[in-house]
Amino acid sequence: MAAILDIRDLVVHYSSDRETVRAVNGLSLSLERGKVLGLVGETGAGKTTTALSVLDMVQEPQGKIVSGTILFEGRDIRALRPEEMREVRGKEIAMIFQDPMTALNPLITVGEQIAETVRRHEGLPREDSERRAGEMLELVGIPASRSRDYPHQFSGGMKQRVVIAIALACNPKLLLADEPTTALDVTIQAQVLEMMSELIKKFGTSVVMITHDLGIVAENCDHVATMYAGEVVEYGTVDQVFGDPRHPYTIGLFGSLPNLDEESDRLTPIPGLMPDPTDLPAGCFFSPRCPRATERCQAERPSDSEEGGHRVKCHLFGGGKEEGR
Amino acid sequence: MSDPVPGGGPLLEVRDLKKYFDVPKGRLHAVDGLSFSIDAGKTLGMVGESGCGKSTTGRVLLRLHEPSSGSVRFDGVEVTGLPPDRLKELRSRMQMIFQDPYASINPRHTVATIIGEPLRIFRKVKGGAEHEAKVRELMETVGLAGRLYDAYPHELDGGRRQRIGIARALALEPRFIVCDEPVSSLDVSIQAQILNLLQDLQERFGLTYLFITHDLSVVKHISDDIAVMYLGQLIEKAPTRELFRKPLHPYTQALLSAIPVPKAGARKKRIILRSEISSPIDPKPGCRFAPRCEFARPECLESDPPLAEAAPGHFVACRRAADFE
Repeated sequence: MAAILDIRDLVVHYSSDRETVRAVNGLSLSLERGKVLGLVGETGAGKTTTALSVLDMVQEPQGKIVSGTILFEGRDIRALRPEEMREVRGKEIAMIFQDPMTALNPLITVGEQIAETVRRHEGLPREDSERRAGEMLELVGIPASRSRDYPHQFSGGMKQRVVIAIALACNPKLLLADEPTTALDVTIQAQVLEMMSELIKKFGTSVVMITHDLGIVAENCDHVATMYAGEVVEYGTVDQVFGDPRHPYTIGLFGSLPNLDEESDRLTPIPGLMPDPTDLPAGCFFSPRCPRATERCQAERPSDSEEGGHRVKCHLFGGGKEEGR
Repeated sequence: MSDPVPGGGPLLEVRDLKKYFDVPKGRLHAVDGLSFSIDAGKTLGMVGESGCGKSTTGRVLLRLHEPSSGSVRFDGVEVTGLPPDRLKELRSRMQMIFQDPYASINPRHTVATIIGEPLRIFRKVKGGAEHEAKVRELMETVGLAGRLYDAYPHELDGGRRQRIGIARALALEPRFIVCDEPVSSLDVSIQAQILNLLQDLQERFGLTYLFITHDLSVVKHISDDIAVMYLGQLIEKAPTRELFRKPLHPYTQALLSAIPVPKAGARKKRIILRSEISSPIDPKPGCRFAPRCEFARPECLESDPPLAEAAPGHFVACRRAADFE
């Protein structure tokens, strides 16, 4: 099936007079129509910058897409004129931000915030847009009668439902969900994720789900990409990556997690810290922390090797075959 | 470092502890009749969602908030009502590690000043050389490189900042530490490093922990016993393994079922709770979870269910717990 989103060799930098933060470093990724892709990684891995790039919302002038192509339904996002991009943004590609407290305008009723999006993108008259706002609220589990309430009158979980309603109001083809439930308590997270996955199925939305929670990926995604220092270091189906994690960083992430099913006395954390994005190491970016790094890893950047759609960026897996496992 | 741990016996005993705050809308029952004890050298994990009163509990134990009523006995001494000079002495043996290492340390002080501050306040060491030696020893204990002695917090990442908070808490050789969400703001690989450190320190110095968190996999990993809180009350307490094997309270069951499991195809049967937590302001009598509970009966709303021992060491506050056996 054709990819709805296809990112090739994306490079994004944030620059100041003194230094350049290399946030995304040659990232390639594609998402099939109707699928959910989990983008996992720790703070500073470049997850959010990647999503912002897709919407052409990298903060200029500090931030800049240096090179690469982003194809959305075969169209090059970077070649679109600003007014064309405004039509795509919010209508065809929508984004859910992590923090529902700051994503909503505190001075405008939630109903109006949904209706505004619909009017802007679908040109509906006020009455129809308000009716649609009510319908959207009902869809995310909020009585339509609350559309005249302001954000502060809602709890965190309810606010995030409103944010989701705004994102889905124009029935976007692609949804970028950036840590949509991180700010929520676990029982509320369960409610919101259940509601989201039902709506995604109902509308056939393709989704990039950014999260640091491997459990959320396992339960909600079809594919998963592990990011480290602005690169995708491992990509595959959830079965492939969770059943047979290959990149030492992915393996390290799993080792860092306390296991709910087994008794374990010690965690096996990844030693060291994320590299400084203004001063990335030579060779493989993970090599300074990697328990299996060799001299080659410190000198030469690994390229992708692939086996049955399971992609790994690691010298241990050269030439399509595993080495040294 | 600290006194040898006397074999067994509670180091901390809490009886019917209450903390109310008067707010414009009425009286907020943050902690409402809490009783528990922690044996010397053990870890009690305290879990619950936002607003359940777990952080307030930690603060009341150290009298950072004055309790409204109830008793806290530490090492046989009644903490409530203790005069200021005695309290200060006591606080050197009861310390706290805070959630946010960005907000809980003074950004204008160096690492050495922050860690050495308790030593100065309590005049624990004589002279500059001894002071520096002690600070350096503490830094080594928590895994901070000596070259960071004169560094400022903003130069450090979250994990190292949390190590500063831990070193400062250890400076006075306490016996008991309240750890209030100490790893919640850290990435998983760093979180694992800090959890291992806390376990090592406990073993080395015979520390007793109250470990407050919303993260059930973390609490399972680190705790001997777990207390589950809901709206200011303790609703279930059991040895860790027992609680995870056989949760009795419907809220605990929902809470455990809501954790996303990082395994392919692991999606389990999830209990999705109705609605959200009710208000802690002037709560009505009766079980506070009843409005969300699928098993609630009229009698659940009549009066607070008592915390009863359902199995040896396993306490639950639910009138219907026996029906789930």
